[in-house]
Amino acid sequence: MADRVRYLDEVMAEIDAEVRRRRASGDLPAGLERELDELFLEFSPVGLQGRARLRETLSLVDGSAYVDIAVPTASNKAVGSYIKRVMRKGLGWYMNFIVTQIVKFAWSVSRMFHVVVDHIEDLEAAVEAHRSPDLPASVAPSASDGGSWWAAAAVEALAGVTERVVVADCGDASLVEALLVAGVDAYGVDPSDLALEPALDRGVDVRAEPALDHLEVVADEALGGIVLTGSVQWLRPNERERVLDLVSSRLAVDGTFVLHSASPAAWAASAPPVVRDLAPGHPLHPETWAHLLGGRGFVVTATVTGGDDRRLAHVGGDTADSATVNAAIDAINDQLLGPTEYLVVATRER
Amino acid sequence: MTAVHQFVPALLPRDATGDHTRALRDALRAAGWESDIYVEAAHDELQDEATYFEKYPSRARPGDVLLYQLGTSSPVAEFLLGRDEPLVLDYHNVTPASFYEGWEEHTVEKVALARRQVAALAPHAVLGIADSAFNARELEDLGCPATAVVPILVDLQTAHGAADAAELARLTADHGDATVLLFVGRLSPNKCHERLVEALWVYRRLYDPDARLHLVGPTVTPEYAEAVFAFADELGLADAVRHAEGLTGAELAAWYGDADVFVCLSEHEGFCIPLLEAMRADTPIVALDAGAVGETLADAGLLLEEARPATVAAAVHRIRQDDGLAAFLTEAGRRRLEDFAAPVTRQRFVEVLAGVAGREPVVA
Repeated sequence: MADRVRYLDEVMAEIDAEVRRRRASGDLPAGLERELDELFLEFSPVGLQGRARLRETLSLVDGSAYVDIAVPTASNKAVGSYIKRVMRKGLGWYMNFIVTQIVKFAWSVSRMFHVVVDHIEDLEAAVEAHRSPDLPASVAPSASDGGSWWAAAAVEALAGVTERVVVADCGDASLVEALLVAGVDAYGVDPSDLALEPALDRGVDVRAEPALDHLEVVADEALGGIVLTGSVQWLRPNERERVLDLVSSRLAVDGTFVLHSASPAAWAASAPPVVRDLAPGHPLHPETWAHLLGGRGFVVTATVTGGDDRRLAHVGGDTADSATVNAAIDAINDQLLGPTEYLVVATRER
Repeated sequence: MTAVHQFVPALLPRDATGDHTRALRDALRAAGWESDIYVEAAHDELQDEATYFEKYPSRARPGDVLLYQLGTSSPVAEFLLGRDEPLVLDYHNVTPASFYEGWEEHTVEKVALARRQVAALAPHAVLGIADSAFNARELEDLGCPATAVVPILVDLQTAHGAADAAELARLTADHGDATVLLFVGRLSPNKCHERLVEALWVYRRLYDPDARLHLVGPTVTPEYAEAVFAFADELGLADAVRHAEGLTGAELAAWYGDADVFVCLSEHEGFCIPLLEAMRADTPIVALDAGAVGETLADAGLLLEEARPATVAAAVHRIRQDDGLAAFLTEAGRRRLEDFAAPVTRQRFVEVLAGVAGREPVVA
């Protein structure tokens, strides 16, 4: 039995390798599978969103609101057809009385739905007026970089994780590769086909999907680790809630969550003007993430700051002037140049 | 004489639950018990084998045990909740309502009602018999005091017999050497036929441009079926996807025999009889590990963790290219099928019910 199971495991591993090879060779363009899913949704009422779905459902109500009293009289036997015709004629006055009231009720219900839908569309228009425009792709936050200051801390936090680990906004997948070298079964997702091209060329398991869309289709508790970076920094509040819900459900108990973000002060001081003006949200303090994660059964095990290469060094000397200057330098460092990024590592405890 | 009477919402011919109910009645009678079938409705062909459940109170006797074939909502559930006889549930699972949301709102209501009835019946029963450990866990979670796993009674040899040679020849002539993927199951959102279409599209793109997908099963959710076939049409697969329903046992055996690989990407299965049918036909299996599929299949197929079309296509391709693997899977299928052999299951049912009815079976 054990031999049979081992043989099937080997076959499945070879099948996975074949899929990776096909992806790397370009036979399976990144995002192809997602496009297929989206195409099916176009044929499904499930895929109709918002206004279109409401109108589609409303048309079904309208279509069902008419009741035909002319019951069919066809029959395989002549006498059967005769009996049905007699019954239709005999009961016509009665059926008409009942059906008229039913149709009247159905049309009243249909009319009510039309009023409700009109009202909802007015509300949607009002909400739409407050919608933030999309940011240009050119200002997308930097994707994960296996050579950046926080990569080593992320790899250390995830070392020993045996289940799969996903790196969101993985870019060129250098962090994914660093994790693979450390023996972690990692793969990456990134919304940009272009950013993934180098990784695909190297045969790394990466998929062209936005992180949240990917997590939506992952089974509950299927992941041993999740690394989030990039656009997680400026999510809308409702998107942030969605991230937290997905992370807490897709991660196995004892799984590790790694979050990389710019600090709020650094973001306010150095983010491109377009981002600062148009981003729907802004980075949070690490303490805030710890608070939000704690409410979902996580315990923060480490908070690491970094990216502070621009900090000014103290001047030498032991004079009152040098002490004054150094105090001013500390203030400048803290407010303008101080740790510009941080990494939060949390474990799901329940 | 102790009696074990079965209750079932609908007794239908050529239906898994209907066949199971009748086979179990025969097994119980052979074991020396009285056993009748009480129904909410019965097909014309089976009127002589069923009694309407409302008539049971006038026929009830002390010592009766009531066995409910539970797989859908029915007034029978409310009726049984009001009875004092020991109640045994034979649970075949109810598809969660979420699968039908957006497709069929009336079905959402129907299955939600069925789930509520399962929740009410589970703590009321003295025993829950489940087709699979997956189903047993559901009953236990709902407070069923004791459970036993006994597979559904299915005599594939009797049900299907030999493949219809003419049908097999017609199918073979239709597709020639092209690879044929087969799935058997009702056209319903939880069966994920769209994933099969996606897998076929990728398979044709990467491995065999002439490959076909054969779908067999009743259209129980018309809007879903329309979406699946429109999707196939959009992908240029209208001529590559065939659908059949209402097949006889021999015709169905021909469709199994014609297929190169049986592919099941269903997201919810309480047991999945088509897996056994594929094993019987020596058709290698590729299946998504969801619901009870993994435990029914065991090592008799390639079990996928996710239904990504590229992975499905690669698995099908591997079976097509690797005769050793195909032989391994069909051999494992034959071996696995022995675990579900009708005599074994009949005996197990009688043993389990003997514990409730209070005496050992006369005949095994």
